[in-house]
Amino acid sequence: MKSALVSIFIFSMMVSGCISESIEEKLSNGNMISPDDYVWEDDGELVIVTYDVTGLTDELLSEFENQSGYKVNLMKLEDAGSILSHLLQHKNVQIADIALGLDNTYLQTAIENQVLWEHFANISGLYENVLGPYSGPLATPFDHGYICLNYDTQIVDGENLTVPTNLWELTEDEWKGKIAIPSPETSSPGRAFMTATIDYFANDGDNQTDWRDWWTSISQNDAIITTGWSEAYETHYTGGYGEYTEGYVGDAHIVVSYCHSPGVEAWYSGNWTKSAALDLPRASFHQIEYVSAVEGGNLGAASAFIEYLLSEDVNQKMPTENFMYSVLDGSDLPEDDGYRYHSTIPSQVAEITPEEISANMEMWLEEWNKAMVAV
Amino acid sequence: MHNKYLGTASVCVFLTLILAPLWLAFDRLVWVAGFDIFSWINSLDENYISQGVLEFTVLQALLSSLVTLAIGIPVAWQLGRYEWPFQSLIRSILTMPFVMPSIVAAMGFMHIVGNEGLNIRTNANTWFATLIIAHAWFNISLVIRFCEPVLSTLDPKMEEQMRLLPAGKSKLGRLRNLWLPLMIPSIAAAACMTFVFSFTSFALVRWITLGENTLESMMAGVGSSAGISGYMVSKNEVILGSSLIQFTILLFSLWLMSWLQMKRQTLLPTTSETVAKSKNVLGWSVILPAICFAILPLLTIMIASFRINEVDASGSNQYWSLAGWEYAFSTTNSLPSAWDALQNSVGYALITLLIALPLGYILAQTIRDLEKERPKLARVVDLLTMLPFAVSSVMIGLGVMLGMIRIDAEFFYSIWFTPILAHVMITTPFVVRIILPALRSLEPKYEECARTLGLTNIQRFFIIEIPLLRGSILVAAIFIMAMSMGEFGASWVITRNSDWTTLPIIIDSIRSIPYNNPLTTPAANAVSTVLMLIALVLFVSTEKFRPTRDGGMF
Repeated sequence: MKSALVSIFIFSMMVSGCISESIEEKLSNGNMISPDDYVWEDDGELVIVTYDVTGLTDELLSEFENQSGYKVNLMKLEDAGSILSHLLQHKNVQIADIALGLDNTYLQTAIENQVLWEHFANISGLYENVLGPYSGPLATPFDHGYICLNYDTQIVDGENLTVPTNLWELTEDEWKGKIAIPSPETSSPGRAFMTATIDYFANDGDNQTDWRDWWTSISQNDAIITTGWSEAYETHYTGGYGEYTEGYVGDAHIVVSYCHSPGVEAWYSGNWTKSAALDLPRASFHQIEYVSAVEGGNLGAASAFIEYLLSEDVNQKMPTENFMYSVLDGSDLPEDDGYRYHSTIPSQVAEITPEEISANMEMWLEEWNKAMVAV
Repeated sequence: MHNKYLGTASVCVFLTLILAPLWLAFDRLVWVAGFDIFSWINSLDENYISQGVLEFTVLQALLSSLVTLAIGIPVAWQLGRYEWPFQSLIRSILTMPFVMPSIVAAMGFMHIVGNEGLNIRTNANTWFATLIIAHAWFNISLVIRFCEPVLSTLDPKMEEQMRLLPAGKSKLGRLRNLWLPLMIPSIAAAACMTFVFSFTSFALVRWITLGENTLESMMAGVGSSAGISGYMVSKNEVILGSSLIQFTILLFSLWLMSWLQMKRQTLLPTTSETVAKSKNVLGWSVILPAICFAILPLLTIMIASFRINEVDASGSNQYWSLAGWEYAFSTTNSLPSAWDALQNSVGYALITLLIALPLGYILAQTIRDLEKERPKLARVVDLLTMLPFAVSSVMIGLGVMLGMIRIDAEFFYSIWFTPILAHVMITTPFVVRIILPALRSLEPKYEECARTLGLTNIQRFFIIEIPLLRGSILVAAIFIMAMSMGEFGASWVITRNSDWTTLPIIIDSIRSIPYNNPLTTPAANAVSTVLMLIALVLFVSTEKFRPTRDGGMF
């Protein structure tokens, strides 16, 4: 039996060697192609790879189908990271036409790996601020928001727990096991928050420690690291609607979410919420989510969809349909039921350039990983 | 059918089916991570996501096996040694959990511990115990299936004779000198199998023990970023390291199990089940709680599918309604309807049946034939057919996905049949495990007679084997259907195309919808109820055809 297994193993190693080379060759030949070289086939279908199952409502998609004649097919993945992985895994053999939901911490990697195409949608009237990280033709912002810590005002009330005035306080004993953070490896809000901490600790006037030390301390303080945002916010956080959902645990009083999450809470519950955003300078991150045409996909359909998504009628609905800010110039959150009132615009967001992100993200994640397991 | 060429061909087809995707996955991962076994294994400790996962996996699998035995053995004893009214119904109920899709079990247990049940979910210290009990719920049937036939068919004379001997005078003496030697192979085999299934637990861990992972669920988590050159390289190492460790541990358990199963077959004295048994009123104290335990998670799912928990400005408000069912069965752009998922599930299950049943049958026949002539080779082939148990469904899913990308992504994504490949890989080993013991228990006399009468191979197959093995073949067929319909791990990895959505996947998708939609939980429970009822109907129908004593596993 041993010899049989060994020979199977050797055989597979031999064949795998040959195949690896051929794949490598194929991938390394992918030189940047210009829009003039784009060739695509219009099969009447638009395949959208995305992660958020409720981000686009049925009405919005049906409306697009009626207007454009394309049939929409959604491919839902776990999170924004999975969209990027999907695109990279399927490089040169893409099956999607649109990637919806890559944010400014993921976009550069997708661009560098040439998995996106320039669209020819006609777009205008975008809010200048959202074009900061990227304004080229390979991706168009469709919504945005600020990532920051949220806390439960009924427990973090100054008596049971004091409202933190800096991030180091969260590594103290009173916060042990009471902070929920989505993992930067798998979640886009988690990645955005990690990115913010890099800037935060680089500018905190302390040269002895940096962001890695903080993450080591937070890991030792039993912070709850979750796979995605939903688990952190719905299952662990005491300040949100999660307490009414099944599977609720409620062991965290501070969570990484959006600065406008309390606004969404209020909007749902008739202008009432016990959740508030914690506005610490440089501890929040301006997240912009993009829609892009995927290389080799149906560019006609993709461009039509991008144009539709950025049209005034549709994009204005982002706050109530997708719980994010619209990217249109002059738009804001609705005032109904305290949505805008309970939403905080951070006083100073973390300043990390897209170039820094694209050059360092992989390394940061590795360092984050090391910091989390360091004893 | 006793045809050497057919046998060899089936072994080759099976190995290609199993090994090709796995080797493609392995190759792609090595291409990214490099070939360095030490680095793969070390990566488990160096990554936050995989740190401590191996320890957790082994610990929970060991404890699950022990608890399963502790609950299962008394039940098997009562069932096997005494007479019960509605015996076959009781047996069906107690062994049914095993064919329940793991995601259904997860939903059921989440309810029991949730705020409308025991309300212990908020205490994180209860999660581990919940998981262990859920695993026990799942695997008790293995203990019953393995042990009960041995107990129920033992000739009472053996015990009577034992009583007369000095060593068997006391209960303890009889336990030590009769029951233990008789039962240990069966108990150990059941423990091995429980260990394997708990080790590779995915849906239950994903939903119950938050923050903790088995190697299986962790690999599923990082699997989406696997196989990309120069991107997240350490995750590829983690997957390679984990699968290597998992493969080694599981292969050993399966080898042990297969060895025990063979030993068990030769050890048992042949006796009849028709002997009169006494009734045992006290035994109800074991059987009744066991029945409640088996039914409870399923009952709660059914009830919860009609229960809506709505939250508004005035607080939360609960009421009964069919809205969850309507939500689950309506098509939206963002989620296929449960109706589509049901059609996919049934379609996949039927086609899987058409492929896996003949394939598994021929494999079992080949092993049986080899056992007579080349027993060592027979053991190798036997073990090879169990490989999919050892590589776990997530690895199979990953293999199929990376294989598709490698060969022709567009083609594979465009055809509806693609997921069947994974289903065939997962169900065929079960067929072999059901048919093989049945073949072993066939009286060689029949075949010898048939040969003397000049019947050809094909005639012998249709006139003798099929009628004699009818029961086992039906059990295998229904098992394939149930397993295929409940398959979660592999489907979860490969189902990126909404046209492929099956019932277990839609349950997970509905439950994962963020934002406060009061219909998601009831809708997920509604789909779980459908899946559960299908599994139940399939399972109760097998019970009728199950050979009284086939010595099989499932």
